[in-house]
Amino acid sequence: MIKLENISFDHCIKCTVCTIYCPVARVTHLYPGPKQSGPDTERLRIKNPQLLDISLKYCSNCKRCEIACPSDVKIADIIQTAKWRYSKKEFRIRDFLLSRTDLMGTFGTIFSPIVNFFTHLGIVKYFLDLVFQIPKGRTFPNYASMTFRKWFKEARKYQNKYLEKVVYFHGCYVNYNYPQLGKDVVKVLNALGKGVIITKEKCCGVPLIANGYIKKAQSHGRHNIRVLSRALPHEQARIVSASSSCSLALKHEYPNLLELDNTPIANNIAYITQYVLEEFEKGNIPNLKPLKYTVAYHSPCHLERMGNVAFTIELLRKIPGLTVKILHSECCGISGTYGFKNEYYAISQAVGSELFKIIEEASPDFVVTDCETCKWQIEMNTKYTVVHPISLLAEAIE
Amino acid sequence: MKFDCIIIGGGISGLTAGIRCVKEGLHTAIISSGMSALHFSSGSIDVLGYINNKVVYKPFEALDTLTGTIAQHPYAKCGKALIVEALQFFKQECETQNVYLFDNENLNHFHVTALGTLKPTYFSQRSVFNEDVYNRFKSMKKIVIVNFEGYRDFHPQLAAAQLSKHALFANCEIIAKSIDMPQLQDLTRHPHEYRSIDIARIFENEENVYRIADAIRLAAEGADFVVIPAFMGIHNFNQIHNILQSRTRLLIYEIPTLPPSILGLRIDNALKSRFAQLGGVYIAGDKVVRAESSNDVVQAVYTANHPENPLEAKFYILSTGSFFSGGMISEFNNMYEPVFKLKLHYEPERNKWYSPQFFYSNSHPFLEYGVVTDENLRPYDSKNNIIQNVYCSGAILAHYNPIREGCGSGVAISTAYKAANQIISLYKLMR
Repeated sequence: MIKLENISFDHCIKCTVCTIYCPVARVTHLYPGPKQSGPDTERLRIKNPQLLDISLKYCSNCKRCEIACPSDVKIADIIQTAKWRYSKKEFRIRDFLLSRTDLMGTFGTIFSPIVNFFTHLGIVKYFLDLVFQIPKGRTFPNYASMTFRKWFKEARKYQNKYLEKVVYFHGCYVNYNYPQLGKDVVKVLNALGKGVIITKEKCCGVPLIANGYIKKAQSHGRHNIRVLSRALPHEQARIVSASSSCSLALKHEYPNLLELDNTPIANNIAYITQYVLEEFEKGNIPNLKPLKYTVAYHSPCHLERMGNVAFTIELLRKIPGLTVKILHSECCGISGTYGFKNEYYAISQAVGSELFKIIEEASPDFVVTDCETCKWQIEMNTKYTVVHPISLLAEAIE
Repeated sequence: MKFDCIIIGGGISGLTAGIRCVKEGLHTAIISSGMSALHFSSGSIDVLGYINNKVVYKPFEALDTLTGTIAQHPYAKCGKALIVEALQFFKQECETQNVYLFDNENLNHFHVTALGTLKPTYFSQRSVFNEDVYNRFKSMKKIVIVNFEGYRDFHPQLAAAQLSKHALFANCEIIAKSIDMPQLQDLTRHPHEYRSIDIARIFENEENVYRIADAIRLAAEGADFVVIPAFMGIHNFNQIHNILQSRTRLLIYEIPTLPPSILGLRIDNALKSRFAQLGGVYIAGDKVVRAESSNDVVQAVYTANHPENPLEAKFYILSTGSFFSGGMISEFNNMYEPVFKLKLHYEPERNKWYSPQFFYSNSHPFLEYGVVTDENLRPYDSKNNIIQNVYCSGAILAHYNPIREGCGSGVAISTAYKAANQIISLYKLMR
């Protein structure tokens, strides 16, 4: 019996445009491309799940196919859903650990000097490669010695002096690996005259979805929708995030993929650069000192999918003195946990090679991007430091 | 966000208008939902190919005949001088990105389709038409049409059979050949799965180009023309063409394939890069869902991704294309334009929308349906008022038939240029 609720694949007219823009299909013949893996085989799978095509697993969920599709087919969602709905789940300790960013983060930060030392050690990397199938070429992000949340306990005290409040969804990366970005967000929001609220959030669920822990992702999603909606100081208040993938999850993946009702928060979510730009356009602009840098801007796939790249570029252009070179839109290849797995590592590096080349050609002072995993990938493969646009803005604020 | 000009639709028309506006210093954004019809196009620019089912050789002379019979034709609103200027502008902008467009001076020339028919066109890329092709054409004796073993979207025998029926090739030997590329075939994948894009990527690797050149030379000994499907790369096409021609010492000619069209893709890439290079904002994968206006002036538009966040501009260009790209929506017995709910020209009775025969020589009436505009390309709303700050360009316009007249890209470019001109002069007055 065909389930009639899922027939968006019928809008596919087989034009193959998605396959042109698929970064994975470009570098490997193991993946036949989004058209074939998505709408083409979906009509077979709904008749008989045994017709599941094993090549599906090569999709890195960058969603570039959905941006390219002239017929509005949710290709990446079809593939992601099929991957976990029809395939038999086998437990892998590596996938379990990679997807538990919060669990790993808790341990990572407690023992940060030891963990950071060991994850950079050749012999440990060799061991991880052998036992866990985690590529030994991959560098790991460091864990911070103090979490963002712990730092915020102090900062919380002076948030009450601001009349207006913004809810900040910081995400695992800011909390455990890079609290400085969180501090920069707080600095920018405070400079705009906004107090910051943080909730008892859980991981947004992106790594859980990527590794097939759909139930767990759903429970995180439900929790986040609940705590975020409760924390909203009033109906029009905003929930901001400085991670493009977290924002995409809260806004799109919850309803489209996890089938959660995010209406209590959907219209309140704004990616940080969009929110700041809105304030700028209202005339709420803090004093900015000129930054005499030439930067190359790389647009992350998930930010593109959300349609937010223009906001970031417009905001960067508002920073005085800054020269921004917009790089041709290319996927960096890491795709979250995808680049942390042996079976995809070579593909991930090959996908990114085009981007690394154009970064070298642009020869900027440093690279700017909105996504944490893009940062890891670019820093590992080029000689450039990667900075978040908000950190750049925070630097410009006197 | 606030702009001087927002262009809705990122196809050939929207990009041309965008480049023109941003070059004149307007802060310009293009909002595009999905990739455009350039991905399905021949990659040649047609100005006027047919009138009354007869081939047009002198398109600019024939323009008067056309606009004389159809007073509302978009070309009539542009005027000949502007059309010529728009085409030169387009050609120069493509050249900045190394896509060279050749014309036959004031005459049309022909490009070969995948079915072996000849289509009149005005501009072609140098792998399709150039001086060498023009000169060699007079004395040709042998044409070899080459395909790559396993590629199933092109049939050289079919093209050869069709082509040899044509009077131009009466004294010419036309042969179909397939060449094998064993060293390129990945064992994990059946060669039948290759699409044009896969083979074009194989060409992007210089080492492969030398091997392919050798295979072509063997297959096409003594040919005046070697015809291959348009595979000569997406980015390095000029270089690949040069290598292939100098190594084989043959004249190599590309014909557009079934979608995705590599020839069209090159133009799409060139226009997008140019727009970005000049500082334009290209918003991809988003769709304008509604507009806000007061007193016949549009204030803001809202997109599917940001339903609460207005995108404001002083001027708007609507270049969303025809039915296929969602510029117009047809329902069981009505049609509408979804963004501004503009007045449309169409026949209310559904059975008059199309011709009973698919390949009917007078084409289908629905291709002439579209937005009604004044002579400045400004549209009317449902109450018959002119919307003051909106201009329309390209396939969404009514009163022309891109198939029957062979004028799709010419109209797209000319009307985009005209719309941009209006906006630029008003913008300069406002400052």
